[in-house]
Amino acid sequence: MNDLIIRNITQRKFRTGLTIFGIALGIFAVMVMGGMSEYFNRHMERSFNLVDKIQVVPETGYLGGIIEESKVRNVNRVPGVFDAYGLLWMPYDVEGIGLIGDYVVGIPPDKQKSTVKDTKLTYGRFLLPSDGYRAVIGSNVAREFKLKVGDELPVRSKRVRETASITHIRNYTIVGIMEFTSTDYDNVIAIPLKTAQKFYELENIVSYIWVVPYPDVDEEDLAKRIELSVENITAISPQQLRKQVESTLVVINLITLSSAVLAVIIGGLSVMNTMLMSVSERTRDFGLMKAMGAEIKDILYLTMGESALMGIIGGIIGIIGGGVFIYYMNEYLSSMGMVLFAITPRLIIISLLFAAVLGTISGSFPAYRAAKMNPMEAIKYG
Amino acid sequence: MDEPILRVRNLSKTYMQGKIPVHALSDVSFDVDKGEFLSIVGPSGSGKSTFLSMIGLLDKPTIGSVFIEGMEITKATDSQAPKIRREKIGFVFQHFNLIPTLSALENVDLAMRFARVRKSKRRERATELLTQMGLRDRMDHKPSELSGGEQQRVAIARAMANNPAIILADEPTGEVDTKTRDMIVELLRGLSENGQTILIVTHDTAVSARTKRIITMQDGKIASDIKRGEVQIKIT
Repeated sequence: MNDLIIRNITQRKFRTGLTIFGIALGIFAVMVMGGMSEYFNRHMERSFNLVDKIQVVPETGYLGGIIEESKVRNVNRVPGVFDAYGLLWMPYDVEGIGLIGDYVVGIPPDKQKSTVKDTKLTYGRFLLPSDGYRAVIGSNVAREFKLKVGDELPVRSKRVRETASITHIRNYTIVGIMEFTSTDYDNVIAIPLKTAQKFYELENIVSYIWVVPYPDVDEEDLAKRIELSVENITAISPQQLRKQVESTLVVINLITLSSAVLAVIIGGLSVMNTMLMSVSERTRDFGLMKAMGAEIKDILYLTMGESALMGIIGGIIGIIGGGVFIYYMNEYLSSMGMVLFAITPRLIIISLLFAAVLGTISGSFPAYRAAKMNPMEAIKYG
Repeated sequence: MDEPILRVRNLSKTYMQGKIPVHALSDVSFDVDKGEFLSIVGPSGSGKSTFLSMIGLLDKPTIGSVFIEGMEITKATDSQAPKIRREKIGFVFQHFNLIPTLSALENVDLAMRFARVRKSKRRERATELLTQMGLRDRMDHKPSELSGGEQQRVAIARAMANNPAIILADEPTGEVDTKTRDMIVELLRGLSENGQTILIVTHDTAVSARTKRIITMQDGKIASDIKRGEVQIKIT
């Protein structure tokens, strides 16, 4: 029967082509939207896996706030804290708001290894206490600026002087490049904390404090204890952070997936329309087949097989198209320091299943009509 | 004598045309023996086609029974009907009704697909039948590339593919010229002589005149049933 299905599809090339194109567009949307949501999910998941420390941030929130460095000592004194150190965070593009793109982090050189957890260096070394204007960079930064160990990266700082702001530029020598992690670390330019404080004129100031608890200490309890012991700060345990971000992810996933589903429904309607036309054109053929002794399942197989095959072909084209689009989009975006899409095996399998199910379901109503046809009526009709 | 291959008992069919009942068939009964070549004739609306669709399981009677090889097909459920159609009945239609996208060979092959016959066997049987119909050189042609007579011969080959008990032909010569008509009737007669039971519904007296038995229908009833062969045999 499969040869008959293929023959029917190839018989009406233009119409089949248009239908397949409709499905391909729908699946393309699933790939692109799904790829975006997969990227966010994976990015967050991996970022969380790297974060195993309690984060102490200013009460005002994550971005743009400041904490006096003296608070690091206060935090360190809270029972259960093994180690605490401050980090200074600045967007690389001082004119931007820093939500996306690269960022500079001032970090105590001896803590860098523990900050990035198991992340390895592809080239060079980590920061040393003796380093001045030196930097260890993430893989996206290296790719964006085409940097090797030993190259120099200009970093700008904006210092406010009464009514005017003065921009300073300083070259930092790259001493190490981190491996690709698909996390925020890929966009980091890590420089020694002291150098950062001087460069940005934020002496004795940090953006947030990272706290390493003793191994047997409950992180959520410790976070509460830190909040009680130190004023004007908020302490967030890794679990709390995960919860907060996950709820945001749900919204992002819903938005991306619902637009993909919409595209797919439109594709499905085009399959249904084509199949209805195709079935009504072949009313006589199906009646004849029934007169020849075809069973309902034979007719269903022929018609639904046809729509499922169109679904699968459309799906494969959509997946390839989406994959190519994502590849070039990521190439383009990474040259600007960010990546937005991820293709995962799961995404490909879901897209293909979606296409096949879409084709089959959209074809089922026309197929049922064909199968239920009274043979005598059908033959007379022809 | 063997049991008749087809037995029709008290067959009636009443349609409702709005609120008015129309009796398309009233109490029709007769038997057909294996290898008979008979025609059903009568004016339009006499019930011939309705009758044919009852025997072919394409429609259900209001009352009455049809037995093919002893099996009461009028009692068949929707799920049993396809098997009976495959095994007991072969159709030949007025408009040939070949599938336009398939070649002659594939059209014959299709009937056997539904009977789940193996591919190699199907090809062998289809080739054999089309050769028998004199279409050996035309097997790979699509219906649009065949003449009316050739198309109808493909349809006859298709009807025979699964060795049915009866071939039901609905106006098989309605769309061909007289020469082709004669050729088709001769072909069918030849098949009946080899033991194939064939029932033709026709308007054409030139066709019915060549069959061995003529049932004439009028107003849904059998007006006459003449077995010419028997009469001749009886006379001689």
